[in-house]
Amino acid sequence: MNSHDWSDRFDDFLDGRLDAAELEELRAHVAGCPSCAEELASIRELRDLAAALPHSLEPSRDLWPGIEARVSEAKVVRGRFGRRAILAAAAAVVIASSVVTAYFIGRSQAVATAVLPVVVESGPSEVVLASFEGLGVNNYLDTRTELLDALEARKHELSGETMDVVMENLLLIDQAMDRIAEALGEDPENEFLMKQLAGAYRRQIDLLQRAVRMPAEV
Amino acid sequence: MGTGISMGVETTATFPVSKPVPPRAVMRVAGPPESRENLVVRAARGDVEAFEELYRENAGRVYLLCLRMCGDPSLAEELAQEAFIRAWQKLGSFRGDSAFSTWLHRVTVNVVLGDRRSTARREARVKPAGDGLPVDLSVSESSPGQALDLERSIAALPDGARTIFVLHDVEGYRHKEIARLTGLAEGTSKAQLHRARKLLRKALAS
Repeated sequence: MNSHDWSDRFDDFLDGRLDAAELEELRAHVAGCPSCAEELASIRELRDLAAALPHSLEPSRDLWPGIEARVSEAKVVRGRFGRRAILAAAAAVVIASSVVTAYFIGRSQAVATAVLPVVVESGPSEVVLASFEGLGVNNYLDTRTELLDALEARKHELSGETMDVVMENLLLIDQAMDRIAEALGEDPENEFLMKQLAGAYRRQIDLLQRAVRMPAEV
Repeated sequence: MGTGISMGVETTATFPVSKPVPPRAVMRVAGPPESRENLVVRAARGDVEAFEELYRENAGRVYLLCLRMCGDPSLAEELAQEAFIRAWQKLGSFRGDSAFSTWLHRVTVNVVLGDRRSTARREARVKPAGDGLPVDLSVSESSPGQALDLERSIAALPDGARTIFVLHDVEGYRHKEIARLTGLAEGTSKAQLHRARKLLRKALAS
């Protein structure tokens, strides 16, 4: 292991996450490497200083009146997401999935320039991420990002039409998830909504996985 | 409040320098856990008064986290407000697996990162880089100068480096958790931390 590799492990060392063998190796290296010894001491000093910073500071004004107004408003509108709206959002997910399935079965060979649209840049909304977190789905963003990266790497092998269909439907599912997640924010215990959101998650990941695995078209 | 330590810029916010807390600390709230659980249960059922008590207990921690992550006092107030509203909306999904304060901390981080992702808002704002962040020395107990310099230097970091430094070195998150929260690769998180520390060392040495 060279100096650079060791410096990558300094935080693990300071957090006590090295095993006995690694610990011994790191100590031996640092003992004989003034540059790493200096780097380690510097990181330790900065971390100690940062960890000792205060963890509380009252804002210059009381934020509660603004929060109370919004919270009270939320109580009044609780329930504004009627069953019809939720069913419409859930249906949008199903439709998007069906469209893509049909497309994958009978896709054409049309070739065009593939461009990842806005959906890739904007990503899932915060309310969706928060809802997934609430449902215990912690790897949604990672999985989505990995699959989008894989799709991006393959976009020159796929037709523009295929990319358009995938991205349009990804966006459609994003929008449906937004609506379901917003409703879930107001009715967090609603099992129907949880199932719909989890279903949308599976369908979106499935859509991306299938797109990534498609045979080259171009 | 003036401090005698100048970065050559006007002061707009106050950071306290107080007794050091244990390293790698996350938000902790004192008090009997049972009463806090009751407050959370009552708030989750729609009791606004109970939620106000939770706000009073946690406002300072939530605000300071927002301030450190965004570097802008007025934006930090907006984000702190938003974090409590988000917490209210999500209270029903809080299962009690972790302390309420830890859960609220995570909600806050998500709110700040969500704001960061909002391109329009980011572009509309002018970042107050290193805009003089004085310390309330009346509560300082140790190394106020160093802490003040560090706070100012953190505020002057570029957005990405500041976020990673605050999450990793101040709040105690690991790179894997940061990657999950921010959507960045772990390697990017490590690189940003390296960059932040380098910039901070340079700023503190000058």
